[in-house]
Amino acid sequence: MKRLILKIALALSRSESYKTAKSFVRNILNNPLNPYKKYVDLSIIFFIITSVFILVYEVKHPVPEWIEYYDIYVVSAIFLIEYLLRVWVHADISPMVAEEYRQSEFLGREFRIKKVLKKGLRQKVDYMLTPSAIIDLLAIFPAYRPLRILRIFVLFRVFKLLRYAKSINQFTHVLSSKRFELLTLLFLLVFVVMTAGIALYVIEEQVNPYIESPFDAIYWALVTISTVGYGDIFPVTDVGRTISMVIIISGIAMISFATSVIVSAFSEKLVELKEVRIIEKINKNKEFLIICGYGQMTKMFFAQNEGQIQNYVILENNPLKVHQAQKDGFDVIQEDASRYETLSKFNAIHAKITLLCLTRNDVENIYITLNAKSVSSKIDVIARASSREMVKKFERAGADHILLPSEVADTMIRTAISHPTMYKAVHAILAGKGIARIDEIHVLEHDMICKKRVDQIDFKAFKLLFIGIYRGKGYPFMFIPSAYEIFQDGDVLLVMGQEMSIDYFKDIYQGSSR
Amino acid sequence: MISSSSRVFLFGYGNHGKPIGKGLSEDGFYIVIVESDEKNRQQAVEDGFEDTYLVDVTNDEHLMKLDIKPEDQLVCVMDDEHLNVFLTLSLRSLFESCTILSISDSIHTTQKLKMAGADKVIDLYEVSANRIHSILKRPVTTKLLEGFVGDQHEISFREIMIPEGSFLRGVMSDEYNFEQHGVLLVGMIDQELGNSFVFATTGINHKLDSGDTIVCIGREEELNAFENLIIQTEEGGDRS
Repeated sequence: MKRLILKIALALSRSESYKTAKSFVRNILNNPLNPYKKYVDLSIIFFIITSVFILVYEVKHPVPEWIEYYDIYVVSAIFLIEYLLRVWVHADISPMVAEEYRQSEFLGREFRIKKVLKKGLRQKVDYMLTPSAIIDLLAIFPAYRPLRILRIFVLFRVFKLLRYAKSINQFTHVLSSKRFELLTLLFLLVFVVMTAGIALYVIEEQVNPYIESPFDAIYWALVTISTVGYGDIFPVTDVGRTISMVIIISGIAMISFATSVIVSAFSEKLVELKEVRIIEKINKNKEFLIICGYGQMTKMFFAQNEGQIQNYVILENNPLKVHQAQKDGFDVIQEDASRYETLSKFNAIHAKITLLCLTRNDVENIYITLNAKSVSSKIDVIARASSREMVKKFERAGADHILLPSEVADTMIRTAISHPTMYKAVHAILAGKGIARIDEIHVLEHDMICKKRVDQIDFKAFKLLFIGIYRGKGYPFMFIPSAYEIFQDGDVLLVMGQEMSIDYFKDIYQGSSR
Repeated sequence: MISSSSRVFLFGYGNHGKPIGKGLSEDGFYIVIVESDEKNRQQAVEDGFEDTYLVDVTNDEHLMKLDIKPEDQLVCVMDDEHLNVFLTLSLRSLFESCTILSISDSIHTTQKLKMAGADKVIDLYEVSANRIHSILKRPVTTKLLEGFVGDQHEISFREIMIPEGSFLRGVMSDEYNFEQHGVLLVGMIDQELGNSFVFATTGINHKLDSGDTIVCIGREEELNAFENLIIQTEEGGDRS
């Protein structure tokens, strides 16, 4: 027995495909950054809603048999599978067993499989006892028709939806931050209700025909203190009425207290909740910008392309500037971009992130650059530097582009004086605003242009000026490449021409890819 | 193209004045430096500028004494924003026909400088933000051509005027193979069309003439060689 378990555990912990399968399932179920999780979630929500609808409809109307089968076999089976998968991915037992085996071999002591299994199972059981796991388990049951009482478990299918309602999670999270106040309140409520209920029972049990048990009296007390007042039970003696007056007043006090506690909890957490939402929203995009600092540069950046920059988030440390950005209608988060935790919240694995370091301070910009690169080297960093001396440092820090505002402006002035006509033309080309522009054509594997020789493509016929090929970092830019150069997957072609010529060229040669 | 009589008056030799002064003198301009701060003026003298003045720029009489001619270009790049706006305003009222260029360090100043009468205002933030947009849209191009007249990058633009008797005279722009010289023709400035810029890719086959200025893109060495070739062949003319 022991041998068998060990054998299985070792095999599993060695098997790559088992590990990848497990991590795939884990990602798809639990990792909000996984792009496919959305679809799993949506289908489960669909099953929940249909099954709840069927169960409710069934109460009064007969339903066709196939629908019942769908509910019993399909939905319940899927929920069962989901539950089992969740339990499965929660903890890894096999590596624990394998580790224990290795240790015992190494130390030469007896191999104690029971202890390890116990520890592993313990973790699973711990998971099974969490509220969401219990809900998942109970949500499987309504399928069992013969026992009608089991239908009450349909409620758990509704509860299952809670997993997908982020606002509910946040709600409980907010409330749990005020646990102490709310517990005090609850305790006070229980105390008042019990006291009043017992008092009324003792005083009116003989005279009041509606009060037959302490439960009736306590029920009355709760209905009264909550200011609901059904009126099915009411005090008949003066003493009883006095008690109700007292608990009505204390009830009002308690309700207002509870309301204020909850409201203050929310207003404290509101900013945080908003920020979480912004991050979640931005992480769903395939490509987005993170802009550090809300200063003049950022304002100008947005002013130039009003409404065109959609997927972005601004990180700003200064509360005043954050406020200003909010007023201007931007998605802003009050966070320190130089902290590792801040940047690691963003989905750097699945999305293409470009980070703009636009603060005034070189030290801060370099720090943010390093931070971004340490979170993921895939993040593209465009950093602002104050002077040319800083460029080396930024390059060392890994910035992909370095922007020197004063140098850009100085060069502009110099060109405006020394080459006034060319200045305008070249400026228009670079900005893409004039009739001609320089554009980049990205070659992909399945493009027609890929694997073709340079002289096979007649750029002139398209009224384009072919400037060169950029093959990526580490390759020098090929200015006027030789006629025998072959276009490769990943090449970027630089061409100059009118926008329509470039578009036409892309249409012809990129065909299906666009 | 650069008339010897035209001078550049550089007001301010600080953060911006220094690199601009250096660049313009490399381009062959005669620079006059005007400063209100003795330390900066001293710096300019050290950097080799001969014509430097220490002037209270808020005083119109002092400005009048500077001997500014109508064809001179005035560049206002004082470190103090407020002074810069004031100076632009004074210069505009004193010298109607001069071209005034100003640099602006903030969004608010740009508007004021324009109102003060500057012919061209370079807004530091505007040009930088522009640059960011082009980095985002066309990263390779921007990296390659960053500071297209700057000297630290390999590929740049160059204006070349075709002199009398050059071999390019009478050549059709579409038919001539510029690539054999390692350069590409981007466009030309046509005198007949009132100094407007004509792009090479508009599809118009243009006959080059002496006096036209062509704009080429290429590596520094090849551009130099090509420029020499154009100027040298003044007598010959049958090389191609």
